[in-house]
Amino acid sequence: MDENPGLSEQYRMASPWPLFVALGLPIAEIGILFDIPALSIGGLILFCGSVAGMVQEAGYARTPWRALAACAVLLFALGGLFFYADAQFGAEGIRFVARGWAIVVAGGVLLFGSVVGSLLVDEPEPV
Amino acid sequence: MELNGQLALTVLMGLFLVAVAAWLARVENWRSYTPLGSGGGGYGQESGYVSQEKPSGFIRWLTTVDHKDIGMLYGAFGVTAFLVGGAMVMLMRAELTVPEMTLISNQFYNSLMTSHGITMLFLFGTPIIAAFSNYFIPLVIGADDMAFPRINAIAFWLLPPAALLIWAGFFPVPDVIPAQTSWTMYTPLSAGVGQGNQANAGVDLMLLGLHLSGISATMGAINFIVTIFTERAEEVTWANLDIFSWTILTQSGLILFSFPLLGSALLMLLADRNLGTTFFAVDGGGPMLWQHLFWFFGHPEVYILVLPPMGLVSYILPRFSGRRLFGFKFVVYSTLAIGVLSFGVWAHHMFATGMDPRLRASFMAVSMAIAIPSAVKTFNWITTMWNGSIRLTAPMLFCIGFVSNFIVGGVTGVFLASIPVDLVLHDTYYVVGHFHYIVMGAIAFAGFAGLYYWYPIYTGRMYQRSLAKWHFWLWMIGSNVTFFAMILLGYGGMPRRYATYLPQFTDLHQVASIGAFIMTLGALIFLWNFVVSWYEGPVVRDGDPWDLKEDSLYTTEWEWFDRKLKTAVADGGEALPGGEESDAAEN
Repeated sequence: MDENPGLSEQYRMASPWPLFVALGLPIAEIGILFDIPALSIGGLILFCGSVAGMVQEAGYARTPWRALAACAVLLFALGGLFFYADAQFGAEGIRFVARGWAIVVAGGVLLFGSVVGSLLVDEPEPV
Repeated sequence: MELNGQLALTVLMGLFLVAVAAWLARVENWRSYTPLGSGGGGYGQESGYVSQEKPSGFIRWLTTVDHKDIGMLYGAFGVTAFLVGGAMVMLMRAELTVPEMTLISNQFYNSLMTSHGITMLFLFGTPIIAAFSNYFIPLVIGADDMAFPRINAIAFWLLPPAALLIWAGFFPVPDVIPAQTSWTMYTPLSAGVGQGNQANAGVDLMLLGLHLSGISATMGAINFIVTIFTERAEEVTWANLDIFSWTILTQSGLILFSFPLLGSALLMLLADRNLGTTFFAVDGGGPMLWQHLFWFFGHPEVYILVLPPMGLVSYILPRFSGRRLFGFKFVVYSTLAIGVLSFGVWAHHMFATGMDPRLRASFMAVSMAIAIPSAVKTFNWITTMWNGSIRLTAPMLFCIGFVSNFIVGGVTGVFLASIPVDLVLHDTYYVVGHFHYIVMGAIAFAGFAGLYYWYPIYTGRMYQRSLAKWHFWLWMIGSNVTFFAMILLGYGGMPRRYATYLPQFTDLHQVASIGAFIMTLGALIFLWNFVVSWYEGPVVRDGDPWDLKEDSLYTTEWEWFDRKLKTAVADGGEALPGGEESDAAEN
């Protein structure tokens, strides 16, 4: 056994992102389920933003901007599914479209953030 | 009005996001981290290295990705949920002391019953197991940490929101009432159709909470599988992997195959309730589809909850018997056998639904077969104790209590697995008595065995031994009084889930309630002992507080603890006169 049991030399012992990943997911779920756009958009931004931040922190990417764009693409696809569901099975009183728009808007915000971030923010020095 | 509400919510959400971003920008300043490379040798666990890296105070607990901290968080969460679930059931037991509706309304009783079940299974059972596995598996297999420390943290932090959602109906939110579906959430009641009030948003919130807890469990399971497969130290092979890790590995496999299914079924149910789908509607997939999906998850869930406690007992019980675990290999094999068989028994919950008798018979056969590996374990525990030098410490007492209660719970279960018996006893208190012998009498007992056994490691102090024994005996007597009365009630034909009952059942219900109050007293003693000893208990200065070395039963996590005690002096600037004082300062 090594000299520092239970003690890692590769990992940081703290990260701010997991808390917000875990907070963003339920907020987004509640927003989408109950059709409350503020919660859907905010929750998805929080969730995807934290995932992107964590991807960078963990060293899988140098910057979070591409991860943000990837999240945006996934959200566009998810929003598209809601539009498709509305076109195929649209039923009285079920607002698929509004839910879909909320998801797409969240994707749009993330994409915007990704573009602005990659254009305006200097890349961090490699450690 | 509606628009104003949306606007206000949007502003609030925006402000929240800005606050989060601002906080992140500040907190990320600790990014000064650079790997120490070859440096750092000779530091103890809580050394300067850690205090440089971990932020202090409350922020440390919000941001930690250290497996031991996360284990502590799981433990605190699990114990809290246990107290909440316990308070819920005490209200119910108080109501059940008389046949009529007196103390609480029938609707409130149903709500408490639903939440008690879900709280104890998903917010106490799974997390308290995760507390031990997070803290100790990396230590006993010689890993630096979990394979995915951040995913570990995410898995924990999903639980508090899940708990808030599951309990949402009890909070004073306008127009939201608690779910009254019972933990099985059978359709069509849970689909919110018909005359009842279960179309309420409280049920949706509960389903979302359950879904989140499932995501959490799945993330944890993936983490444990990868950790045990890839992060073992060189000297830890499959041949000498400890029994607790084996049970956690098997449990994680079960979670991996069953929890995603629960998640999908819950989303289908949510879609039925909110998006007009017909998965479980009579003219769609049919209500029986829910029962199949639910129990395909639900029965493995039983083993998800019981296998790691069996591992804890197999791990702790030999230490106080002065012997190694008898038939170690066969205990591992029976663990794996239970894991596999657990997926072939789900329809024994549905014998009374009118399913095809040929199918029913095959499920009966598999259900009875699962008694074999369970009995193998039981006999191995007994033979481990046989002729051993038994020391009746609190953790050992809880282990023996586990074995004893598991036998009663297990044997009553074998009878339930038999179709003709089940058809008579189905949906009676017999079932309630049977599974409470397992979940409270066995699973919770093993959890508390673990809490007492490792108390010196995670607090650095020793609990008050006599109070711990009081706790055990009150629980052992209380649980048998309560749950045996339930079994008798079931023989008498008392149906489960009712807030009121016929006068002929009064005596046994009162006996059951008395047992429950005895257990409450035990729980209060535990809480007092647990908290007070944490602050004031005698400091443990010996890395072998249980004298395991005498019988050559010393294990890696105590070695780690011993090193921590010895190297703690290196903690920057804390060298107090007398040297050893710094141990106390540590805590």
